[in-house]
Amino acid sequence: MATVQVSEAEKVYILHGIRDDLRVDGRGCEDYRHMEIETDVVSNTDGSAKVTLGDTAVLVGVKADIGKPRPMVPNEGYVEFFVDCSANATPEFEGRGGEELGTELSNTLYKVFNNKHSVDLKSLCISAGEHCWVLYVDVLLLQCDGNLYDAISVAIKAALFNTKIPRVHISADEEGGKEIELSDDPYDCVRLNVKNVPCIVTLCKVGHRHVVDATLQEKACSVASLIISVTRKGTITCTRKVGGGSLDPESIFEMTEAGKRVGKALHAPLMKLLQQEESLGKARQKVGFLG
Amino acid sequence: MPTDTKRVRGPEVSQSPTLFLCKHAAVLPSHGPRADGRQRDQVDVRPVFVRCGLVSQAKGSAYIEAGNTKLMCCVYGPREMERKDETDMKCGKLTTDMRFAPFSCLERGSWIQGSQDKDLSLMLHESLQPAVCLHKYPRSQIEVNVMVLENSGSVLAHAVTCASLALADAGIEMYDLVLGCSIRQNGASYVVDPSYMEENSCSSVSSENQGGLTVAFLPSLNQISGLQSDGEMTEETLTAGVRTCIEGCYKLYPVIQQALTKAVRRAAPPAIRELKDSITNSIALQCAVLTLTTQPLFLFDIMFLKKD
Repeated sequence: MATVQVSEAEKVYILHGIRDDLRVDGRGCEDYRHMEIETDVVSNTDGSAKVTLGDTAVLVGVKADIGKPRPMVPNEGYVEFFVDCSANATPEFEGRGGEELGTELSNTLYKVFNNKHSVDLKSLCISAGEHCWVLYVDVLLLQCDGNLYDAISVAIKAALFNTKIPRVHISADEEGGKEIELSDDPYDCVRLNVKNVPCIVTLCKVGHRHVVDATLQEKACSVASLIISVTRKGTITCTRKVGGGSLDPESIFEMTEAGKRVGKALHAPLMKLLQQEESLGKARQKVGFLG
Repeated sequence: MPTDTKRVRGPEVSQSPTLFLCKHAAVLPSHGPRADGRQRDQVDVRPVFVRCGLVSQAKGSAYIEAGNTKLMCCVYGPREMERKDETDMKCGKLTTDMRFAPFSCLERGSWIQGSQDKDLSLMLHESLQPAVCLHKYPRSQIEVNVMVLENSGSVLAHAVTCASLALADAGIEMYDLVLGCSIRQNGASYVVDPSYMEENSCSSVSSENQGGLTVAFLPSLNQISGLQSDGEMTEETLTAGVRTCIEGCYKLYPVIQQALTKAVRRAAPPAIRELKDSITNSIALQCAVLTLTTQPLFLFDIMFLKKD
């Protein structure tokens, strides 16, 4: 992660502020920064979304390919994640520098989606054992200012909501094999149900309290953070402790409870916003990358 | 999955024969006794066999066997750091590496580190880092290498225990031993220290609580240094699971302490062995281990101080 140097006096200042529920930019301990979401920004993908959370910017593109299902689960498709920390974000990511962080982020995403309900994999099957849809979710970090997990998970949810998978039908050809035909109408597509896609909440332990959506300065003052991914119903799909410090079991229980509360509250406004954006249709003003 | 960029390989044509089974593996029942006779819904960990000092070339090493899970860990260090351009020269660096032997799991794995290996190495690093006094080893590097010889469930938990034992055997200063424990939640019941079949069986009934949880714990300090869960669980189940894992770690603690005492005794010169009865708590033990490697005479003063 990109790091900033924080002096001892600054650390004390941030610590004392958080102790009194007042952060450097005036937020409370459980408030997010200003978040902007825009979908359908890249036309070559089947679904895309760009999320800006404070100064962190993340771009997600989803492409659907036809592939062979995994041998152990022949009637399901699958989702592949890849996170690329681009050198645009910070010079530390130049060359192979960002690879470690990218692998860590992708592995966590695999764990978050490793359950039956997040994405309906059975709907991605075309013909059992032979063809299925493979969703390649590629995440690009454009700017890095802390709290990558939250921004990435919101962007993935928005991109999956925006994904339009073309409708296919199977027909038998002359030799008895199966032939896949894509429908001619470009608007004839299948949408994914993203109601159960979880959102990740990162809680940083600063002093005796925890903060949601920490900036890089606040991260430099904390020894350990807890990442929780929460679904709309409040079930937790993945938790992970990151950082080089240790946590008290009581703090973990407190942070889990706070994370669940914050995460659950994130879903309803997000879905409303995405549906609102969708309903604008052609009249929507595209902001793109220059806004 | 990352691929090996140095070699050009042909297409992978071999498949595991388990794919061609006529009858699929039976789904494990979610009630009743477990396959190896242990109880479910109770903190019933597998009996462990641990031994330190197996690898003569390494500074410290440990081997752990729990049921059929076998792993070994070697520690090299503190060594001089290769790159001198590290910004933080005030404390040492801990590098961890966890690998699976290709024959360790049911399906043959490859020698190239897949993303799962890298993920486990990172988890191991995060679990061990709070416990090691890195500020006492500036500009040095401590390498921890774990090799899984046979994977029969809860590999990460046992790797954490094995690695902290190897670090203690190497004489690296630590605040406390780190112990790992994992559970598998299946509907309303849980199993502690799951075997490979219990970890990977998917229940036919898609119920609310399904998932696995691994906790790395420092018993004397009552701190959690590593936590990882996946699957789908409610918050109450997760909290109860963490408490169960902590209990499992407490159950394991005396066994690990005993193994470490035996290793210290074996390495100690005969005169010090007479003082073995005064080694009661683990903090004195750590002092014993690290001073053994430096000044044996100083050890006497430490021992007498602790007795008072």
